Amino acid sequence: MGETEFGLEERVLRTKAELAERAALLASRGLTVPTGEGLVLGLYQGERLVATGALVRNVLQGIAVDAGFEGEGAGATIVSSLIKTAIQRGIAQIFLFTTSDEAPRFEGLGFSRIVAVPGGAALLEWGAQGIAQYCASLRAAAEGRHGRTGVVVVNCNPFTAGHRALIEYAAAHSPWLYVFVVEEDLSLFPFEVRFKLIRDGTADLPNVTVIRGGPYIISSATFPTYFIRPDREEAAQKAVRMHAALDLVTFRGWIAPALRVARRFVGTEPYCDTTSVYNETMKMVLPEEDPAAMDKWGLESGVAPIEVIEIPRFEIDDEAVSASKVRELIREGNLPEVEKLVPRTTWEWLRSTEAAPVLDRIRHSDSRH
Amino acid sequence: MKALRSVTAGSLESSDVLVTITPLAEEKVEYVIDSIVIKQFGARIRKVTEEMANQAGVSAARIHVQDRGALECTLRARLETALDRSVAC
Repeated sequence: MGETEFGLEERVLRTKAELAERAALLASRGLTVPTGEGLVLGLYQGERLVATGALVRNVLQGIAVDAGFEGEGAGATIVSSLIKTAIQRGIAQIFLFTTSDEAPRFEGLGFSRIVAVPGGAALLEWGAQGIAQYCASLRAAAEGRHGRTGVVVVNCNPFTAGHRALIEYAAAHSPWLYVFVVEEDLSLFPFEVRFKLIRDGTADLPNVTVIRGGPYIISSATFPTYFIRPDREEAAQKAVRMHAALDLVTFRGWIAPALRVARRFVGTEPYCDTTSVYNETMKMVLPEEDPAAMDKWGLESGVAPIEVIEIPRFEIDDEAVSASKVRELIREGNLPEVEKLVPRTTWEWLRSTEAAPVLDRIRHSDSRH
Repeated sequence: MKALRSVTAGSLESSDVLVTITPLAEEKVEYVIDSIVIKQFGARIRKVTEEMANQAGVSAARIHVQDRGALECTLRARLETALDRSVAC
């Protein structure tokens, strides 16, 4: 940090004044300030900010160069510094979030495009291992199975009787069902536990494969706003809709063809705004067959449509069973009620010594996840 | 000798090259070469990269070279630094 490149000085932006300058530079290029906390870098010529970029978790975003400094390599300098920082932090997979108009600029720097919604957002990735390789590994794993498969994407924080009912229904209506488990470890129940509880709780269903969600399904790259506390403000809702679209276009364009998916199953969402926006967007993006409308999402016309099947939430005593309800009961110390809402496998785990630290964390947290 | 950690050297600026080395669990060396002049110099870049990795004795790593039109001396300098960093703790 602080190296001088062509007379430009690199600084980490921290103060209110610096961040205001950055917001103005972003606005001058038609960009908004990205959501989420992270490292913000700036390149200065004297006291003038001429380029900026940020690293939020594993995603480069908010990258802008002053119009007068284009073509001077300032963008490449910022991007290189952010990549170096990410690698120093041990981040293996680096993404870049930008507008579809700006995407070619970053492709020129060696990023590859995952999705670009025309006139909207674009998600790119850096490095040697990308989504094409990921999909090739899915395709290899699906080898020899029937086509027209079903998919359920779940977080299961933790696995409840509601999740079980959804998976049971989906498995009964698919020749083969893939259950993707959101891998991002930002939930109160750690990924390995969530994954194990789903596998144990569906072991009796012969046509179900439970797989890690990986970096492309509801991850901090494809859907960062999923992991933030919901905000009803219009700007925040707009960000959720945009991220939901990126995630779903990635699913339809890349992942679904690899597994020959014909149907995606979801439960109705009575409680969470973010999830209900996601489900609404899903019903628009996945089944669309009109080439002009598909083009608007950045989907090629040959990509097969996916039927979305929404199933009413599983209820016990007229109340929808949800993982957030289970966590609430744990927080209140009402374990006997929890037993009614979860499969036996989850219940046994909750009673094990392994569960103690997780239960303890739930009691002392007000996190949504 | 194994690469012990993920490192980079160089940059994506014009006339430079960004070298990234990531450790692999398996005993093999993977080379990924990207260049804006891959047609003219791709084979040479690969040869120099393999030669320097062999010399350093790297045995389990992925070496990603993103060339932005660097001179060979620049490429060698970036590779040397990255190889050195990947094993030094």
